[in-house]
Amino acid sequence: MRTIKTACKVVGLLGLATALAAASVAQTLKLPPHEKVVLKNGLTLLLMEKHGVPIVSFYAVVKAGSAAEPADQAGLAGITAGLLRKGTEKRTAQQFATDLDFIGASFGADSDFDYTAVSAEFLTKDVDRGLDLFSDALLHANFPQAEVDKLLAQSVDGVKAAKDQADAVIFSYYNGYLYGTHPYARPGGDELSLKKIQRAAVLKFYQTNFVPSNTILAVAGEFNAAELKKKLEEAFGSWPGKPSPVVNIPPPTPVKGKRLLLVDKPDATQTYFAIGNIGITANDPDRVAIRVVNTAFGGTFASILNTALRIDSGYTYGANSFFQNEKAAGPFAIYSFTKSETTVPAIDLALKVLEDLHKNGLTAAQLDTAKKYIKGQFPPQIETSGQLASRIVISEFYGLDDNEINQLEERIGAVTLESAKQIIEKRFPRDNMVFVLIGKASEIGPAVKKYAEKQDERKISEPGFWPPPSK
Amino acid sequence: MRKISQWFLVAGLVCTFGFVVSARAQEEAKQFPVASKTLKNGMKVLVQSDHSIPNVALYIFYRIGSRNEHPGTTGLSHFFEHMMFNGAKKYGPGELDKVMEANGGENNAYTTQNTTVYQDWFPRSALPLIFDIEADRIQYLQFDPKKIASEREVVASERRLRTDNDNGGLLDEQLWATAFVAHPYQWPVVGWMSDIEHWTMEDLKHHFEMGYSPNNATMVVVGDVTSEEIFQLCEKYIEPIPTHAPPPPVTTVEPDQLGERRLVVRKPAELPLLEIGYHVPQTNNPDFYALNVLQTVLVHGESSRMYQRLVDKDQIALNVGMGADTAFDPTLLVVNAQPKQSVDPVSCEKAIYEELDKAKTTLISDQELEKAKNIRLVQFYQQMRTISGRANTIGTYEVFFGDYTRLFDAAKNYSAVTKEDVQRVAKKYFGANNRTVATLIPDNEEKANQ
Repeated sequence: MRTIKTACKVVGLLGLATALAAASVAQTLKLPPHEKVVLKNGLTLLLMEKHGVPIVSFYAVVKAGSAAEPADQAGLAGITAGLLRKGTEKRTAQQFATDLDFIGASFGADSDFDYTAVSAEFLTKDVDRGLDLFSDALLHANFPQAEVDKLLAQSVDGVKAAKDQADAVIFSYYNGYLYGTHPYARPGGDELSLKKIQRAAVLKFYQTNFVPSNTILAVAGEFNAAELKKKLEEAFGSWPGKPSPVVNIPPPTPVKGKRLLLVDKPDATQTYFAIGNIGITANDPDRVAIRVVNTAFGGTFASILNTALRIDSGYTYGANSFFQNEKAAGPFAIYSFTKSETTVPAIDLALKVLEDLHKNGLTAAQLDTAKKYIKGQFPPQIETSGQLASRIVISEFYGLDDNEINQLEERIGAVTLESAKQIIEKRFPRDNMVFVLIGKASEIGPAVKKYAEKQDERKISEPGFWPPPSK
Repeated sequence: MRKISQWFLVAGLVCTFGFVVSARAQEEAKQFPVASKTLKNGMKVLVQSDHSIPNVALYIFYRIGSRNEHPGTTGLSHFFEHMMFNGAKKYGPGELDKVMEANGGENNAYTTQNTTVYQDWFPRSALPLIFDIEADRIQYLQFDPKKIASEREVVASERRLRTDNDNGGLLDEQLWATAFVAHPYQWPVVGWMSDIEHWTMEDLKHHFEMGYSPNNATMVVVGDVTSEEIFQLCEKYIEPIPTHAPPPPVTTVEPDQLGERRLVVRKPAELPLLEIGYHVPQTNNPDFYALNVLQTVLVHGESSRMYQRLVDKDQIALNVGMGADTAFDPTLLVVNAQPKQSVDPVSCEKAIYEELDKAKTTLISDQELEKAKNIRLVQFYQQMRTISGRANTIGTYEVFFGDYTRLFDAAKNYSAVTKEDVQRVAKKYFGANNRTVATLIPDNEEKANQ
């Protein structure tokens, strides 16, 4: 789990109140200034002062996530991250916890498809102690065997606990089914793959990937940048430089035709479903236009999708759609849930609104609303030091720059009904897609066969997600 | 997902922890100055200006929740919260969300046992619009039978999501239903499914009239505004709304529990679950602070006693937690644990009792006490650093402690907590007779037969 991020800051908002002519409004969203330093050992440091609340936020990205794991070691990146605080050269896991909690600090480490994020937050007055803890975990973790065994056992049970809640695991099945043999199929691992992980593999993953040239560290909050820079150079300058590993993530192949996976959860009274295909990369040239269109289609409460499935029909408590942007193309999905009896009408309706989107495109009002909504809701996303630190580091990781925010309004403004139409045609699935359903198979199984020419079924109690483990 | 009525709990929010000197309290108060005004119709308005982002968080707290309901109409407050988005006079069905989003805003709401809270987040340019919308729906809510029928289904789906298909939600519902035999905290905020299916138009109208009077509400506005402009907008839009009688007081008092209660839920599941509820006083009771310190020592972070014991040393649980909702009436402090596979929940229970007994028989250490106070200070800043966090915190203190300035007394109150206080509350509230123990036992045979 990562630390909780919030916060941000937007500079200069003159007279937004009166200047209602939104399209012609001058640029108002702006990232606060920050400094980038690359140390001799290759570590990239990003520093951003943000005053007002006496908190300092650290957020580091190590450029190796689940996609960098050996194929038979799914979950290795997450386990390595989880062990960073579980014993270092100078602290036991318990000492680390005692020192961290005493100053009320938080620490988080977890892996994603493309990277491992390590974060910490503490009061400005505790910056020396906080920095010592953070660098200790990142640089000097030593993976005691007993802690490795403990975390692996907990993680296996963690997967089982998650399976007691369909909405906690639907995207583990979805990613597996959509990506097949591609590394994005297996973020986090499962009950079986986690059992295969050995301490030696953890150590190797750490030693190969946790090197300065493979790491970006952002620090944001209330501090003096010049002073903090010295402290950071002291703490991280001696981290021995090593060549960066090369992680090659092949472009995933979108699914052709229609395939359906039904995961049987016999006690379910509600069916949870995800529908979609491979989406886009984090630096896709159309990413802003795609975001605008998806906001209108399934990104807000009054979106096309939620209006149809919730507001007008009452089939569900919620329906949405999203593109998860990654280094290689991440997933796109429509997601909702409905009682077993209305599974088919709800999925039919989701498909109908998707088809209507292709046929009719967006209306001028829908496009305009999406633009205003993104702009209006953006400032609270960069309100806290934690939000800012993670944002600048992830931007740097994906090779994006400050214009991602500083030119956001312009880029949003450039989206037209015509370009939206092209985006829909090119980027939203129509004839090719996967369906993943978790529900009571005995009740919904026969009826949902109509959605796909190829069907698969698993029981939720069977270990693993997808593909089924080889015997 | 939105309009996610978080009917389960707002806990945690007020659980900020102790700290040192009262100079710090004054500093905190100075750092977040609040302007206050009570309108002629009785609604109190609190404003905190912060121009660091061009946005505004506007929260309205109504003092009505599931404790104001009765058997047969449980879940009505929460259902009502949903209806408040379904059309009034000027902004008809579906228009509220459309107009708000078209102006860069969004909204949500949550219902608890005690309150119903409406939240708007928007760029400052939408300020007059938001007041227009809020005034419209408080006064002129529509009761369209078609809309009610469809919203019933939405709420049923929400209940399936959070309770019927969520083992933790299901067990928690049973725990409260068992721990309370008289007081309305015994029924779920979302309502029993059969009540969701059966309440009538008359029930709804009555509930609206009862709960939604301006003198039963507090408005908190934080962000890129001045108090003058907010008070002016209030005079124009909110002050003309007539006042009527607030909900009748809840007079039922839960009798003392005189012996342990136990319940079991058997259903298909991968893992068992454990919850233990102890009766504790309402939020504004002076023991609040010592109980929070104890709770921090027992479950906050991986250095906490129960984490060390159950998760780290004995390795019988995946996690262990503890929390109480903010509440007007005496409530439950719930300890929960996720036992590992094949671990009998009874062994988790035993370890939890042993840790509680230690807190009763010996004083916590100086270091633990100081840790709890340090944690409270960090949590204070974490919840006060966003405009929405501040709106919620200020409103929660105003509503549950009777005065928002108590937020700034918290530092003083926590610094006054002694090790002896912590021991005293451990002895007072964590007795065997005062607890209700709920376990979920996986019953996968049953599943095969279904």
